[in-house]
This record gives sequence, structure tokens and C-alpha cells, in this order.
Amino acid sequence: MSKRGTTPNRFLPPKESSLFKELLSLYETKQLKKGLKTADQILKKYPEHGETLCMKGLVLVHMGRREEGIELVRKGIRMDLASHIVWHVFGLIQKGEKKYEEALKSYTQALRFDKENMNLLRDVAQLQTQLRLYDGLVETRYMLLRLRPTARQNWVALAVAYHLSGNLAEAKKVLVEYEKTLKNVPHYDVEHSEMLLYHVRVLEELEQHSEALALLDVSAKDRAIVDKTAIMEVRARLLSKLRSDEAEHAWKVLIEHNPECYDYYKGYLSNQGLNIDENPAEALAILREFSTQFPKANVPRRLSLSLASGEEFQALAEPYVLSALKKGIPSLFVDVKSLYTDPAKLKSFEDIAESIHKDTSPDTSVASSSVSTEPTTYLWSLYFLAQHYSYLSQYAKALEILDLALAHTPTLPELYTCRARTLKRAGDFHGASRAMEDARLLDGQDRFLNTKSAKYRMRAGLIDEASALLGLFTKKDAPSPGADLEEMQSLFYLLEEGDAHRRAGRLNLALKKYAAVQRVFDDYEDDQYDFHGYSLRKFTVNIYLNVLDWEDHLRSHPSYIKAALAASRIYVDIFDDPKLASGNVDGDVTDAEKKAKKKAKKAQKEKEDAAKKSAAAAPATSTNEDKGLDVPYKDDDPDGMKLLSTPEPLELAWKMLQPLTTLAQDNIEVLIAIYDVAIRRRKYLQAAQALARARALDSEYPDLHVRIVHARHFVSVLPEPMPAPVGPIFIETLGKILSEGVSLETYNSQFLQNHSTSAQAILAAAQTSRVLGAPLQEVEDLIFTTLRDEVRLDVKTALEISSFLKKIKSPRVNELHQALDAKFTLSTAFKTPDELAKLREWVLTTTSNSSSERTGNGAANVENEAELGKEAGKSV
Amino acid sequence: MNIRLARPKDLAGMQAGNLVNLPENYLMKFWMYHIMTWPQLSFVAENDKGHIVGYVLAKIEEESEEKGGDIHGHVNSISVLRSYRRLGLAKRLMMLSQDAMYSVYKAKYVSLHVRKSNLAAIGLYRDTLGFEVAEVEKKYYGDGEDAYVMKLVLKNQS
Repeated sequence: MSKRGTTPNRFLPPKESSLFKELLSLYETKQLKKGLKTADQILKKYPEHGETLCMKGLVLVHMGRREEGIELVRKGIRMDLASHIVWHVFGLIQKGEKKYEEALKSYTQALRFDKENMNLLRDVAQLQTQLRLYDGLVETRYMLLRLRPTARQNWVALAVAYHLSGNLAEAKKVLVEYEKTLKNVPHYDVEHSEMLLYHVRVLEELEQHSEALALLDVSAKDRAIVDKTAIMEVRARLLSKLRSDEAEHAWKVLIEHNPECYDYYKGYLSNQGLNIDENPAEALAILREFSTQFPKANVPRRLSLSLASGEEFQALAEPYVLSALKKGIPSLFVDVKSLYTDPAKLKSFEDIAESIHKDTSPDTSVASSSVSTEPTTYLWSLYFLAQHYSYLSQYAKALEILDLALAHTPTLPELYTCRARTLKRAGDFHGASRAMEDARLLDGQDRFLNTKSAKYRMRAGLIDEASALLGLFTKKDAPSPGADLEEMQSLFYLLEEGDAHRRAGRLNLALKKYAAVQRVFDDYEDDQYDFHGYSLRKFTVNIYLNVLDWEDHLRSHPSYIKAALAASRIYVDIFDDPKLASGNVDGDVTDAEKKAKKKAKKAQKEKEDAAKKSAAAAPATSTNEDKGLDVPYKDDDPDGMKLLSTPEPLELAWKMLQPLTTLAQDNIEVLIAIYDVAIRRRKYLQAAQALARARALDSEYPDLHVRIVHARHFVSVLPEPMPAPVGPIFIETLGKILSEGVSLETYNSQFLQNHSTSAQAILAAAQTSRVLGAPLQEVEDLIFTTLRDEVRLDVKTALEISSFLKKIKSPRVNELHQALDAKFTLSTAFKTPDELAKLREWVLTTTSNSSSERTGNGAANVENEAELGKEAGKSV
Repeated sequence: MNIRLARPKDLAGMQAGNLVNLPENYLMKFWMYHIMTWPQLSFVAENDKGHIVGYVLAKIEEESEEKGGDIHGHVNSISVLRSYRRLGLAKRLMMLSQDAMYSVYKAKYVSLHVRKSNLAAIGLYRDTLGFEVAEVEKKYYGDGEDAYVMKLVLKNQS
């Protein structure tokens, strides 16, 4: 905040004027207490001096007295609308509130009164980048370079701005000019090296490959580019693009450098003109050579398994499996699982593992065995086979094999995790949780097993008990394990607990967790802000550009999509049935949860009290502690009741789905969710577009079938036709999907006929009937046909069917559950409430008897464990 | 498993892996700061679905004059999911990072902290990679456990 103009209402006599300068420098060095005093000194005589009011307000916000401070800032602006300082201060405050667009407006206002202020311009550039306003960014960066051409970063920053705005040619020009200005570049300078690598990238993106290669080579030779790996990678890529003879060698060098990198082999093969799908034989020969050259490398051997077939595959797969089983590599199954899409390969793996198992079995006479009779090989072959059969849904067989393995070695946690996964797949969520806890108890220090066991408890509906486990590894001073995991941005935890609450019907708490996921992504997005300045000062441009690209696609992350889908479905349900929002939500809350909530509330209150106390004490003992300008997150809805009872459920749903309209266009579930929200928000074009896109992805998708009929039905029951131009377009789009002549009932029964053995499709047809107003009994009868032997039904679909029956308030839910319970013999998903209560106890009783809890975590652990035991109603 | 330099798209997977494996966890901005300041030093292992199953996060430190003024590398965090152990992933991740510390930054040595009780990790660092215990930091970890500071002098590996 430098130059100051003087207008009448800004005038200060010399004494106050120098006090004001002092105030500015005190602020710069964050001597807040002194700054506050100085401001008060000025205001004593000139209580309406706008710039001083703003500065005082800014200091107060830094000291944590936000509201008071902002009030002063607003007053200050009114007093001196033509001051760049007041607008700058306001911009800083808005930026702290993450209101980037508004902050930029304030900064633009400030710039009107102080055009060449470097601080302002730099902040504007950061805001413009955050908001992706790249044309404006170019102007700002240009201005900064013009004002200070001696600052090296201003050149690179302008090049980057051009690059982002899509003008690579200008970016290149700026870089060339910049390099001309350089004198005495220190030898071996990492920053300069990064800058040159960026220059090479610009040339490569301009497809000026020879020029790029020339710059790379000369810079590498001069040791101006010092990143050896980057040189090798870019070089190989450029040589391939130039179809140079040297390319093959360049890729070989890379493989030698890191023989476990897929990209290098792919680069090598494609450079040789080999397409993995078209010339597998030639590619295999090359990979064989690499396998010989790098006998320890896994990638060429694994890649060969993907390419080979028939006898050749068998010849490669046998030693691959045997060597992994001998070494006891637990990931062998997940490593080869993706090859199971080929039934012949699936069979091969089964045969190989069965044969190794037979050969190594303790029952086999030693003489007949050709392979090593190491008992561990036997054990790991059992582990592999159990995973194999579990994956193929042969649960009983998998469990039998695991029993054998556990009899052989009862101390290998992996056997229990496999057992847990198998039981989970079979629908026995309680047995699964117990097995996973058995695994954890074998190695209480392993957080991985701890997390898994907590996850399985949540799947079994044991949320408090899961939390107690998680607490073994979270910070002891956190209000709760969950609060710590949320603060540490654990998406896994937030989703699992949200889903667990959703399944238990505690929609408020579920929404709370999904909103927390949304907030994590908001934070990820905000995190980039400082780097818009930092990375350019550091010259790490390439990674910076990649980070911007990542940020632009942030919400395509599966965790965000899951949270957005789950939350939007709840919001749609609330919109359709507002009673859900006022329902007896607390009815399902367990005592332990209440206790935890109380504890969290108490902690929050203590925190607030302490804050209030220090705020109250502030005027007297005002500290210099800088709390920054960012608004701290305040949870004013600890139970999620505000989310649940929102008057605008659809708007909240849309807020979560909206980013996915561009980021997840090929996700049919997302498109269906968009339809559900859009049609209710009366955004008919959006709804029609989502349907059309979904249909292009999978026209027979059961959930889509329901929506297609829903849309047509929706139009037909409108009291008045949709107004033009939207109406006719909507109807035309629908007409392309399902021609108007077809009766919806007929269409639905055709769909049912076409997919008569799919439970998913039968469910969809039943839902569709319901949309069309079919009587309850008819819908129920249809639903019960999913129990027929010829229908493929799994536990997951069965659970969906059960919740549909509940949703339409069918009196036959219990009947369905009895039938499902009989059908899925292993499953606990359809037990009665009484049986479930007993199961929950059973899960906890037999497993809380532990001797290998995580050590080294001090007293807090013991307390958690004691609580866990108590909650289970059993002693430890 | 595919082993390669960490990219921004890996950050969420690295953070998630760390949260599942280790008690010392960091906010996203910390992960970003490291790969954006020393983009050559952090590596990941991914499975064929593209999930991150192991990572190493590293940085460069310049010591003050009285400590010798040496530039050196430091491993902030390394872990491999339990289900992907025994493949030698941690070793390879470490070696790639060490190589980059030496070749890009001319780091003289690399250091790291390890829990006194973490015998498996100490075994990897000492026996497989050649680290030695340089000192003990009392109560280094949040729960009061001591840390070994282990160091390895870097030489040209290739």
C-alpha cells in the first residue's frame, strides 16, 4: 500500500499522516496490537478518516474480532470511496471469505485509483488465475512485466498467462525474449533448469518437435537442465514423435533407469510401431527380452500375461504364479484379477493354483511333488484359491478353503481379511465384521487393519464401535475420532460413516457427512490459491500447470461422485416426501452416539467459550497473535438437522451435482441423478439432455428405463402443456428416445419381457408400474417374482428391492425378508430386528477379548477400549 | 505395479494411502507444497486400476552453516498398503527418490525419521538401503514415542 493521493476528506495533518504511515508498516509486519493503538490515535482526532477506519478494521479481523472489524471496514469505505486503500482492504477481507469474484471487483476498483500498484496487481493476478479469467490475467501479467522487467518471475508469469489463455505462440515469444535478458545464469541452477523444461514443453505443445529437441539437448549438454529423468523422458517422447532412429535407444535407457514403469514399455512398444492389441506376438518377443535383461522386474512379465494367449499364456502364467506364491506375495490375486475377463485365462489360473496347492499339500507324498514343498507355498496357494472362489461368488467353497488355511496358520491376518470380504459379499455383514476384527487383533499396531475393521463395523451398522476403533489412531485431543478424520480430510471415513447413517435411516447425519466430503473438495480447490504466486517465484511451472489441470477436474474423483449421488438422492426423496425431513430422526440414535454428540458439543462450547473469553479480554490485553484473514469453519449444524429440513432440497442437490455435468458425462448414475433433480427443478432441457446422454451410454440400463417412462408420464399429466420453446424441444427429445405412439404400460411390459431373469430389471419395471399408478398389490406381486429360481438376484439388489417395498409402504416387507433370508443362507441382511440385535452383540463379544491392542498410544487408548467394551455390554 | 513420478492427480490417493497406513497425517496443502516445490522427488506405485498403493513424499533441506551447510534430502512420509507388501515397492520408491535427490539437487545425504518400534521399516532402511541411525529424537511422535533419525550418504547410483 504505497502512494497516497490527497482529497479533502482524506487529508491528515503531518502528525497523523506520519502515524498513518506507521500504521501501514505495523500492519505489514503484523504488529497488530501496536497497529490498533496507532489507528485509535488517529481516529481520536479524525473519527471519520476512511482509510484509518479500514486499516483498523483489517487489524481487528486479523486479531480474530471479525464482525467488529468488518463493520469498521464498511464504514471506512463509505467515508472515502475514491481511496485505493479502502478497496484493497475490502478485497483482502473478501478473499479471506473465499469470495474470489467479489474480491476481484474490489481490487479492480482499487486499481482505478492506483493503476501501477504492484501489490494490487499481483493479488489481482492470483484472483484472476483462481477464477480462470485468463484474458484478464494476460493483461495483468503484462502490466507487471512492464513495471518491473528486471524481475525474472514476471517474464515467466507472462508466458504462463499466455499459455493458459491458449496462446502458446506468444508464450514462446516471451520465453525467448526472457532468455535473451539473462546474464550469468549460475551453473547448475534448479530454477533455471525448471524454466528451460517449461520452454521445451511449450515447444512440444506447439508441435515444434525438432526445436524442442534441440533446446533440450543443448541445455542438457550445458548442464543447464539438471533433471536427468525429465531429460530422458522428454527426449524419448520427442524422438518418437520425430520418428528418429535414436528413439528406440532412448526408451531403452528409460526402462533401464526404472524397469517397473509401464509407461516406458508402452513408449518403447509404440515407438516400434507395435500395437498391443494387433501385434501381440512381436510385442511378446520384445517383452521376453526385457524379462531376461531385468530378471527382477515385474512389469514385463505381467504385461506379457496380458498379451499372451493359449499355450504361451499357460507357459508364462505358471512360473508367474508359482514364484509369487513361493515368495508369499499377498497381492497376487488382485494383480491378475483383471485378466479374468478372459474366461480361458481365468480357468488357467484356477488350474495352476489348484495344481500347486495339490503338489504342496502336506497330504501329498513328497515323491510325487515337483515343486517346493515349502509349507508357506501351500498356505499362499490356499489364500489365492479362496480369493479366486470368493470372487466367483462361490462363497461356501472359499470359506472351506480358508478354514483349511486357518487350521494350518492361524496367525496370518490376510486369511481373516479374505474371510471377511467373502462373508461381506455373501451378505453376512456381521460375520464379516467379526472376521475383520480377528485380523486386526493379530496386529493391533497396523493402521491398515484398524481402518478395515472400522469400515466393516460401519457396514454392520456398528458406527459407535467403529469410531472407538478409529480412535486408536486419531489425535487424542480431538473432540472425537471422526472430527479428527474429518479435519484430516479422510474421504474414506466420511463416506463410510455417511453411508452407514443413510442405511440406518439417519438421513440428517448422512447428509452431514456428504456435505463434509463436499467441503474437503472445496478446500482442495482453495488450496491452489497461494501457489498462483508461489510456483512462479519458484519457477516450477510444469508441475504448476499440471496442478491447475488437476484442480479443474477435481470433482471427477470417485469420492466426490459418490457423495454427490448419495446426497442428491436423499434430497430428491425429501422433496418427494417432506415428511422424511421432520421424521423421528433421533429415534435411531444410540446412547453412545448421544454421549459422543454431547461430548462433541461440550468440546465445541468450551472452544467457543475460550474464544469468547479471549475476545472479551482482547481490548485490555490485546495480543499480537495473527489469526489471519481466512474465515475459520464454524459448524452451526452439528446434527445435520438444518440440512435435512432445508426448504430447498433440490437446490442443495443441484449444487453438488452441477460440477459433474461437465466432469462425469460418461457416468450413467450421475446422468440419472441429474435427471431426477432437473425434472423436479423444472429444468426440462437439462432433464431431457441427461436422459438422451444416458441412453447413448446404455439404453437398457434399468434405472434409466424408470426415468424414460417417468418423463413421458410427467408430460402427460401436466395440467397445461409446457410453454414454448422449452416444451416442444423437451417433447421432441423424448420422442427420439421413446416414440409417442407407444403406450407406457406396453413399453414397460416389453422391457420386463426382454429382461425377465434380471432382478434389477424387474425392480425397475415395478418402480415404473408405480410411477404409472399401478395398484400396490400388482407392484408387490411383480417384486416377489425376483425370488423365482431363474432370476439372478444378489444381496445388493435384494437390499434395494427391500428399500423400495419400504418406500411404497408395502405391508409385505417382512414376508419378503423371510424369503430372502431363506434364499441367502449366509446372509444376515434380512434378519429380524431382534435377531440383528443379538448379532450385533455377537460381533463384539467374541472379538473384544484382545491382548494385542496398539501399544504406544498412552492412556487415551485404554479409555477408548474400555468404552468399546462397555458399549458392547460386555467386559473386556 | 507401475512405479513412476508422482503427479498432481495422485495427490488424493497419496493422502488417502497415508491416512490408512500411518498415524502421521497431513492436509492436502502439505502434499501439494512438496510436489510443487520439489517436483522431481516424490514417487508412487499404482495398481492396474490406477489406484495408488504406495508412495514416497520427499523434500530438500539446506542446513544452516553451523550444522555443516550441507544440502540434503529428507523423506517426509513413505508407505505401502499392507495388501501390496513383499513386492519391494518401498525399496524401489526410496531408490528413485534418492537418485533424484542426488542427481537434481546434489544432495549429500538423505535423512528420515522412523518410530523406534517400527522394526520392519528400520530393517528396510538399514539392511536393504544402507541407512544408519544418526541420533535419537526423544518423544518425536505425537503419542510420545522416540524417533530414530536415520541417514544415508548419497552416491551416484547409476
